[in-house]
Amino acid sequence: MTEPEQALAQARASAETMKASGAYGDDLAGFRVDSSDVVDTKQLVEWALIEPDPANLYSTRTLGAPITFLKRLLLRALRQYLGEIVAQQTRFNIHLTAYVGQLTARVEALEKVAANDAAQRPDDPVDGA
Amino acid sequence: MVVHQLLSAAGPVDAVTGQARAYRRAFEAWGWGGSDHAALIDPRMGRWIRPLEKLDPEPGDVLLLHYSAYAPRLRPLLALPNRKLLVSHNITPARYLWSHEPVVAVYCSVGREQLPEFARSVDVAAGVSEYNVAELVAAGARRTAVVPIVFEPPAAAAGNGGPPAPSGSPQAVSGGPPAPSAPPKPPTILFVGRITPHKRHDLLLRAFALYRRHRAPDARLQLVGEPLSPAYAAAVRELADELAPGAVTIEGGIAPVALWERYRSADVFLSMSEHEGFCIPLLEAFSFGLPVIARPVGGIPEVAGDAALLCEGDDLAVVSELLALAVSDRELRDELAARAARRLAAYAPERALDSLRAAVIAASRG
Repeated sequence: MTEPEQALAQARASAETMKASGAYGDDLAGFRVDSSDVVDTKQLVEWALIEPDPANLYSTRTLGAPITFLKRLLLRALRQYLGEIVAQQTRFNIHLTAYVGQLTARVEALEKVAANDAAQRPDDPVDGA
Repeated sequence: MVVHQLLSAAGPVDAVTGQARAYRRAFEAWGWGGSDHAALIDPRMGRWIRPLEKLDPEPGDVLLLHYSAYAPRLRPLLALPNRKLLVSHNITPARYLWSHEPVVAVYCSVGREQLPEFARSVDVAAGVSEYNVAELVAAGARRTAVVPIVFEPPAAAAGNGGPPAPSGSPQAVSGGPPAPSAPPKPPTILFVGRITPHKRHDLLLRAFALYRRHRAPDARLQLVGEPLSPAYAAAVRELADELAPGAVTIEGGIAPVALWERYRSADVFLSMSEHEGFCIPLLEAFSFGLPVIARPVGGIPEVAGDAALLCEGDDLAVVSELLALAVSDRELRDELAARAARRLAAYAPERALDSLRAAVIAASRG
């Protein structure tokens, strides 16, 4: 029997033995969670275009089919007005995203210049030494 | 004693709402009064929860605020002169959410930033685990208490009689005396929890794919949980189809009876989650005598104690080998089940309710 306290060590040893015999070299490509506080510009551009899915308009109530029908009817009736709201918001989003992209490019260019300057400058004296 | 519970939102499959309901049942059993209010109420909720605008507390009433994310509608209540108890349920780190659901990320981010204000403005700040309480202390809470999740072991698990037999054994197929011709049951790995980035379904699927390729070609993975969004659910589904086509089942919004059946028919509960304040599914798995493999993060080591196989490190081959061990070693499974029973006793609902009662009384005295 393996004691629970020994299980991890045993699994590690077993994994090492199997790897030595060529196992576990699999290519497991595909979607991977990115945990970061920074969203890249490409993602922002994707979100800038607002395209709500009409399928998400429904009722969560039991026997809510008539409510879903009414909501979708209302959506259809207000299509012109809602389209105008979406157009205005999308226009703002796209301009803002483009502006953020320009700023990012300028910052990158300035950082590059600063890095080049620092590389060409002779060593600064340290503490007046 | 009159205690009013206040929530940002109430929904039928929301864990915080479930706890508020359990608290109310206890308050009623103790002869305490009060009402429960939420800023946003799902139409599927019954009438036991009322709109926040209907809150009209008397000066001596205690306000119990449930906090799990940015709560702009609860914030003004901090200025009320009533005694207050904060129950912090755990806030998901926003870094997992920016790329997938930025609005939810904002709620989590601002929720964390405002936690100090809530923690300092109440008479007692409670967390569902020591891990959560440490966050409250860091946020500046003056008095703290641990009020564990009120966990009622499912009736379906009563008389479970120990862990399920390992897959491949005749007992596993029939649940009784072995049928000579019964085919061995393929190992089933289970994870229960919302399909959100911090639960790391991507790692879970990769670990399972390795286990399936190198240890159990007929293994199956059962994922149960509500997705963060349809897009995120689609990404997880796509990865499952790439790595283990036809071997992964994903279900959301299943009834308790069906959920208990998933636990009963599984061989191992595997969690690769990177952030958990408490992790109720751990206790659910314990109820069914299911061996648990998890990463030692957040509140998991505290809740699991010595009853789970905690796997440090990022080597998924090790997780695969742990799965193989937990599925096949009958004595290991028995030992884990015996320890799980002791952990369940430590988290018995009456003990959690005693902690709740003590925290409310402490808050009422200021």
